[in-house]
Amino acid sequence: MGSQKRIAKELAELTESPPEGITVRLADESNLYNWHVYMEGPENSPYHKGTFLVNLNLPTNYPFKPPTVSFGTKIYHPNVTNDEKGSMCLGMLRPDEWKPSSKIVAVLQFARQLLAEPMPDDAVEGRIAEQYRTDRKRYEEVAREWTRKHATGKKA
Amino acid sequence: MADNGDRMFCHACGGVWLRDGQGLTCPHCESDFTEIIEIPPDTAPDPSHEDPSIPPHERTRPRPPLNPWADHNPWAHEEPDDFFGGGNGFRHRTYRSPDGRFTFSSTTFGTGFPERPAGPPRGVPGDPLMPMVRSLDTIFHGLADTYRNQGRRDPQQGDPWQNFHGQEDHDREREEAFGPGRRLYPRDANAPQPMAPPFGTLGDILELFRADFGNGAGGGPGGGVRVMTGPNPLAMLSTLLNFDRHGDAVYSQEELDRVISQLIDQNMNGTAPPPASQDAIHSLPKKKVDEEMLGSEGKAECSICMDPVEMGTEVTELPCKHWFHFNCIEMWLNQHNTCPHCRRPISSPQPEGTRENPVPVHDSSESPSSHRRRSNATPFPDYGGHSPWQGQHQSVSPSESDSHERRRSSGNNNSGGFTGWVRSHFGGGS
Repeated sequence: MGSQKRIAKELAELTESPPEGITVRLADESNLYNWHVYMEGPENSPYHKGTFLVNLNLPTNYPFKPPTVSFGTKIYHPNVTNDEKGSMCLGMLRPDEWKPSSKIVAVLQFARQLLAEPMPDDAVEGRIAEQYRTDRKRYEEVAREWTRKHATGKKA
Repeated sequence: MADNGDRMFCHACGGVWLRDGQGLTCPHCESDFTEIIEIPPDTAPDPSHEDPSIPPHERTRPRPPLNPWADHNPWAHEEPDDFFGGGNGFRHRTYRSPDGRFTFSSTTFGTGFPERPAGPPRGVPGDPLMPMVRSLDTIFHGLADTYRNQGRRDPQQGDPWQNFHGQEDHDREREEAFGPGRRLYPRDANAPQPMAPPFGTLGDILELFRADFGNGAGGGPGGGVRVMTGPNPLAMLSTLLNFDRHGDAVYSQEELDRVISQLIDQNMNGTAPPPASQDAIHSLPKKKVDEEMLGSEGKAECSICMDPVEMGTEVTELPCKHWFHFNCIEMWLNQHNTCPHCRRPISSPQPEGTRENPVPVHDSSESPSSHRRRSNATPFPDYGGHSPWQGQHQSVSPSESDSHERRRSSGNNNSGGFTGWVRSHFGGGS
């Protein structure tokens, strides 16, 4: 598969020069399509000091189809579903938005950027988005609390 | 509530406890990331929740309107009510608890039953107290059947099999029309059902309910039998099963997910550009990479496979001047007829659409709301100077990146509309 070559290349690039706050490794050394990404909460966000496991799954016809991103660590965020899936909604990953020239590093950086700046208009958790808009302080408290509870220590 | 047996499971620590005692929050780790594990109550539900869907007059009326959910077999008796030949055999059964509070039905499917078997009912070796959990989608299935049958049946035509029951203690006979072409799937009554919805989609059911409530009066015996009478059976069901969603006709996260993923799938097909024609793909000009194409850094790569491209390599150039390996761009164009880089269509070459003088595509689709989205959101963070859209053209003119942005925004806007639709129909997704 042509996809493997490109994926291996992107993985190598990410491993050699990882972007800030992002560490990648394969979930299973024999499977290029399933990545574990460890994402540090951005400094200016309530997720700071947390490390979040992000599962990045690549389709076999990558880069013609977009990867999917989901949080393995529970996170209080308007754009991440508060369920066992932890799906993150990224506009650039929608099939009609995806471009094969987008790189995984861009996806991950975008995801991390979303931690710093949630997009309540694109929320998947309407309640959290509402709180983010109307009661930012409380949102940050809860997000910080969840980060402390779920994204620090052993689970990271 | 009928939650005597409900247990809770904590997704954070894996703890299990009884809901009655501890409530919804995990007593071990205080997480609220928990799940109610549905267990049918062992005891009769709270009388205060007496099922209101069986008005007394319903019980005594001998013929339609029928309510197979509330007015049928005694719970403990299992018997096939109806059995239909015609190549495929469907057997539909309804169970009812002795106190009438619980009803559920199952449909089994068999081949090789061209004729009704003679003799005593050939019941499915069933467990009449089949766990409610497992029967949940059967219930939904049955509801869908019931609604679908509405208006389709001929009330004058009695159930041809009704004598077969030989049951004197029936409240009434049931009619179930399992005509050909109905979307019934084989069901295994002895094993958990597959995840796929047995009927087309949950949306079908929602539609049916909506239509039904819109009617209000329903049909009398002359104009088709109104099967569902009394309160919404789903409300009853949700009371029994402790589901929380009453306002929207979705009764579990799983169902909601299913609906949403289906809608997303449909939506994707609607907005993604269609594949390019083979002719269009093969008529694209090929050229050898020259110095100009390599750009200022003197090296370039195909942005699809990300392999470096040497001078003199033959590549395929799109009308927008972006170029790729033929094999790479062919695979993309087989799915979408736009440049994977700038999204300009490949089939309608626009002579003025050069890099220096790009033609904004879909300019008219830009709406005020897309401006709103642009201003609120930060669609693209700073990628440390490496725009993901740059690819082999290391310099992107401002006007071109602007057109990227516009395309993105309008696309976003479309999907935002969809998201809004989902929100307005299914609530805030909490």
